[in-house]
Amino acid sequence: MAAQYDLTSKMIPFLDLHLVFPLLEFLEINELFYTPTTLLEARYELSLKTSMIDLIDKLHGELKDAGVTTAPIELVERRKEVLEKLMNSQAEAQKVMDVIENPEVINALRQDKLQNLQFLKDNYGMTAEMIQTLYKFGQFQYSCGNYGGAADMLYHYRVLSTDDTLGLSALWGKLASEILVGNWEVAFEAVQELKEIIDKTHFASPLHQLEQRTWFLHWSLFVFFNHPKGRDAVVDLFLQPAYINTIQTSCPWILRYLTAAVVTNKRRKNLLKELVKVIEHETYQYRDPITEFVEALYVNFDFDLAKQKLAECEEVLENDFFLVAIQEDFIQNARCFISETYCRIHQKIDVAELSQTLNMTKEEGEKWIVNLIRDTKVDAKIDYKENTVLMNNNTQSVYQQIIERTKGLSFRSQVLATSIEKREAAQIKAAQHEKNHPSTAVSEAATKA
Amino acid sequence: MSRFFRAGESDSDETESDYSDELTHSESEDHSDSDSDDSSSDDDDAAKKTGGRGRLFEGSFSDSDSEDDTVRVVRSAKDKRFEEIEQAVSSMINGQKINDWVSAQNEFDRANKGLQKAAGIIAQTSVPKFYIRAVADLEKTIQAALEKEKSSTKKMNASNAKALNSMKQKVKKNNRLYEKEIQEYEKDPESYVDEEVVEEKPKVKKPKKVVVSDSEDNTDAEAADDGFTPVGAGGKAVELNQENIYKKLKEIADARGKKNTNREDQARILERLLAVANSPYQKIRVLLALISAQFDFPIGASGYMTIPLWKNADKYLNLLLTILEASPEYIVKEDVPEEDEETDKDRVPQNGEPVYIQGSLVAFIDRLDDEFTKSLQNIDPHTTDYVDRLKDEVGLYSVIVRSQAYFTRLHLTDSISRTTMRRLEHLYFKPDVVIVAVENATAALLPASIVRPNQDSSALIHDLCVFLYKNATSLLRTRAMLCHIYHHALHNRFFVARDMLLMSHLQETIHQADVTTQILHNRAMIQLGLCAFREGMIKEAQTCLQDISGTGRVKELLAQGLSLQRYGAATPEQEKLERQRQLPFHMHINLELLECVYLTSSMLLEIPNMAQASSNPDGRKKVISKPFRRMLDYNSRQVFTGPPENTRDHIMGAAKALSNGEWQKSVELINAIKIWELMPEALKIKEMLGRKIQEEALRTYLFANASHYSSVGLDQLAKMFDLPLASVVSIVSKMVWNEELSASIDQVSNVVVLHHVQPSKVQSLALAFAEKAAGFVEGNEKLLELKTPQQAERPKKGPNANKEQATGKQQQQRTMGPRGSRGGRNQFNNGLGNSVRGGRK
Repeated sequence: MAAQYDLTSKMIPFLDLHLVFPLLEFLEINELFYTPTTLLEARYELSLKTSMIDLIDKLHGELKDAGVTTAPIELVERRKEVLEKLMNSQAEAQKVMDVIENPEVINALRQDKLQNLQFLKDNYGMTAEMIQTLYKFGQFQYSCGNYGGAADMLYHYRVLSTDDTLGLSALWGKLASEILVGNWEVAFEAVQELKEIIDKTHFASPLHQLEQRTWFLHWSLFVFFNHPKGRDAVVDLFLQPAYINTIQTSCPWILRYLTAAVVTNKRRKNLLKELVKVIEHETYQYRDPITEFVEALYVNFDFDLAKQKLAECEEVLENDFFLVAIQEDFIQNARCFISETYCRIHQKIDVAELSQTLNMTKEEGEKWIVNLIRDTKVDAKIDYKENTVLMNNNTQSVYQQIIERTKGLSFRSQVLATSIEKREAAQIKAAQHEKNHPSTAVSEAATKA
Repeated sequence: MSRFFRAGESDSDETESDYSDELTHSESEDHSDSDSDDSSSDDDDAAKKTGGRGRLFEGSFSDSDSEDDTVRVVRSAKDKRFEEIEQAVSSMINGQKINDWVSAQNEFDRANKGLQKAAGIIAQTSVPKFYIRAVADLEKTIQAALEKEKSSTKKMNASNAKALNSMKQKVKKNNRLYEKEIQEYEKDPESYVDEEVVEEKPKVKKPKKVVVSDSEDNTDAEAADDGFTPVGAGGKAVELNQENIYKKLKEIADARGKKNTNREDQARILERLLAVANSPYQKIRVLLALISAQFDFPIGASGYMTIPLWKNADKYLNLLLTILEASPEYIVKEDVPEEDEETDKDRVPQNGEPVYIQGSLVAFIDRLDDEFTKSLQNIDPHTTDYVDRLKDEVGLYSVIVRSQAYFTRLHLTDSISRTTMRRLEHLYFKPDVVIVAVENATAALLPASIVRPNQDSSALIHDLCVFLYKNATSLLRTRAMLCHIYHHALHNRFFVARDMLLMSHLQETIHQADVTTQILHNRAMIQLGLCAFREGMIKEAQTCLQDISGTGRVKELLAQGLSLQRYGAATPEQEKLERQRQLPFHMHINLELLECVYLTSSMLLEIPNMAQASSNPDGRKKVISKPFRRMLDYNSRQVFTGPPENTRDHIMGAAKALSNGEWQKSVELINAIKIWELMPEALKIKEMLGRKIQEEALRTYLFANASHYSSVGLDQLAKMFDLPLASVVSIVSKMVWNEELSASIDQVSNVVVLHHVQPSKVQSLALAFAEKAAGFVEGNEKLLELKTPQQAERPKKGPNANKEQATGKQQQQRTMGPRGSRGGRNQFNNGLGNSVRGGRK
């Protein structure tokens, strides 16, 4: 049933080859949606396009075990080829690395890239082509699966290079490498940097920029859902107009991740409103239990439906590569949402029914409510005898309203007074000035007139 | 859906069958044209022999006798003029001979005047030779006469002598102009005269009886025509044949647009030329001239090209395309330098090099289409003429498709996009059935290589639009986009249409567009609103329609009728322009239906809104639809209200019932409106409306009566408004959540508990006081801001304010729901304002 909510196939087109492996492995491990052999085959097909000979070999073997015959491959030759190429590029890159790693050089390098280039050229005979080798080597290492090395090379390349387009590709490569290594801290920085570049760069066609943003949205999911600060970042980033537009135009399924992030986020009130708007707007294009949950709760106020969707959410989250980690969090927060909304609308609530709405037993529900009352500022009491929760309606009293309204008045008046004073002082000054230099004042007046 | 669509649907079936009729008809016409001895009149054999070409002649033949015919010799303008001159010249010579210089002078003046009149003709040919001869002789005679005068003793009388003297001056002056010709004449007077004689010969023959041809059995039809058809320069009967075809063409081309050119003649000559022409090159050349000739005919009082003419043009254009398709080595292009020396040779493609011929097919297509629209604008849409005319659309459409295919073969991007746009504009407003019918009829008309029947109209529209997005200029792109939106909306794809509209950012720039594009934009908006209504999205429908329906100038904004010029602001030119922009009737959106939809959705939004506003007095009073409120006010001010008669009455009645909580009555009244039947799936829409009315009635009831209850049972509410309990809970919850209603639900006893905050007198006064104080401070702040010199404020505010604006703008792009509509409404209004202003320019 949950297979229809699997986004892997939708997302793969927007990911790098190497980034797809973790997704497929995840599916394979959890034995979801597809038969293991098809997944294995898919991975094998993918690996053929890379230079990861060992992986190819391994998958080939596994496939054989699984009873699938594949076309024979010339692994030995290819391995030789790859190794040779690797050696060559390494040798070339090493030349550059030797220079760069020289402590003297490191000290001499400055902020200005052009100057650095000139310096390296003058003193060490290093040309732009040589720096290019760093990029090539990094790319090749990435292709071989040596992500750490690739990230390193690309970092050096980016420090030295002045080529913007290649620099951008290098940054993408670096991000991918860091993601695959699992170095979230660095990856997080790379994401921020990448975002800035994408936003700043003037692309030839808006379509190109859209494409870049779409890729960016997909890649950043890896980072955001693994980095501790990631969930805040998701909300901040994805709700920016440019990215919301991107989501709406090219990849509405990202809404799931945005919704999940918003729901699990602590600062949510106003964001939620925005999110609801977007979700409502996109329902015709994309819907899954997670967005439907929000819709049921905040658009239709249908608590039964919300409950049902929440149960579905659990399953979907469990099967989602990115969201499996925050499943627990999500459920907690979602329950919180339900009960908060519920409490605000209702005056008297049957504990049993509420716990049922929250997918809990009665005892659990009661505990939950007690916690809720304690944690949040809900003004409520439990009537133990009747087994109900009584909400005290917290309408503002008239006195409070008046206090609210008149709160800022004195401060505002004060500001007014000071600004009037300032103005008067300025006027006096101007008058004096006029006395001293009548001609300039006249001309000023003339220009004003 | 508007009335038109129904009409369209019903006659789409006809068009197919009609088409075959027409086809055979036009075929037979073709036949009669190629066989010159065939006739469309079927009187008797004798009549048949008179030749089928001249309907004009047939008319005269039947109701006048032979004598009349002799008088009615059709002469070219040139002949007429020259004859005049000749007469003058001959009487002048007579005058000379009898030494009557007074009359000679008069005749001379007359001849010169005639010459001036014929200046246009002379410019192409030359000064008539008889004239040159006469003036040359004249000079000599005058000289002789003067000498004689001197030597003779017998004096002339005074006036005669004076005339002679002035003649001498005049002739001297005059002859200087024709020095060259006179010299030529003087060199060889004999041959000069000979030529003249040759030219004059046919003149003698001319006044022959046409009827003679009837009695002469062996005269062929061609000869029979001679009497009344083409008479060339100098009154010569024109022999049309292979050799002089180019000369004739050139003559006609030169005469084109001149004041005194007889267009009918020209067209007829061309038709005959077409019959003579046999190589593709000749045919193409003749057809190009012929089609232009059709368009050259003066447009009478009706304001449009007459239908037979239009059909001729259509026929010839088709013929031209057929030839061009059959012989791909000939290419008609706009930017080919015309090579004069080659115009009189038959050009054949050499070495596979295509032959380029100057001409603009796309201009023909444009003109043909425009004339079609013009005729539809001018024909009364309630007559059968209109329907008959509308049937021609298939033919027109097929020509457009055909030329589009032709341009595609030649890769003329600009022309392709123009024709594609034309094609799109013929299709976008039509429902599927009609589009498919038109496409099929077109496919039947055209060779299979050009078009294949397309069953999926949406795909067709999509293809056309996508092509335009990719290739056309920005104006055409905009128009294509609007057509596409319209089409989507017509097919109930509201979200797709809305997203296209928002993504294209059209609303921001539309007020800069030309008037017709703005009209198209208005149409698309209206259709979008209707679509939202059909889909049950009342709020969206209302906001889409608001800007146009709310203005009271719907007709003008949709170009479906002239606006009332209340202030007499429009000059005749403006009115004329506006008239030209009118859409043909079959494209109209039904205005009554539009009003009905607008008022109904306004009612559903406004009534609860009014109830809410009246229940809490300090709430802001926002008006959703002014026209609706005005109507409601007017309606409730009446002392007696009779039973509802028109749509408006029904809706007003329903609105009143709704505000009283009588939802059944309201539903009844709404359902009684007849115009819903024009919508597809009217039943479903009525059902939807019924449901909406129930919900809104519930809301209105709660707003209006909350103060009278301390609690209301949810079950009871559900029963009262015949709604399922769940939706009642949902509606109430929403109201509570949005703080529209100060209440909460008691889940245990299933009631809504209403909180009453009845402030005491002192409290409410205190509230008012606080408000006043706040207003005071605000007023002070504003005052100070006004009085402070601007530059002091700016640096502080500037960047921030700008940023806010920028982000606000971006946000509007897409995030806001039908939404952009709230933000975009102002802009939209601007657009409309401009559309009107543009119209009055």
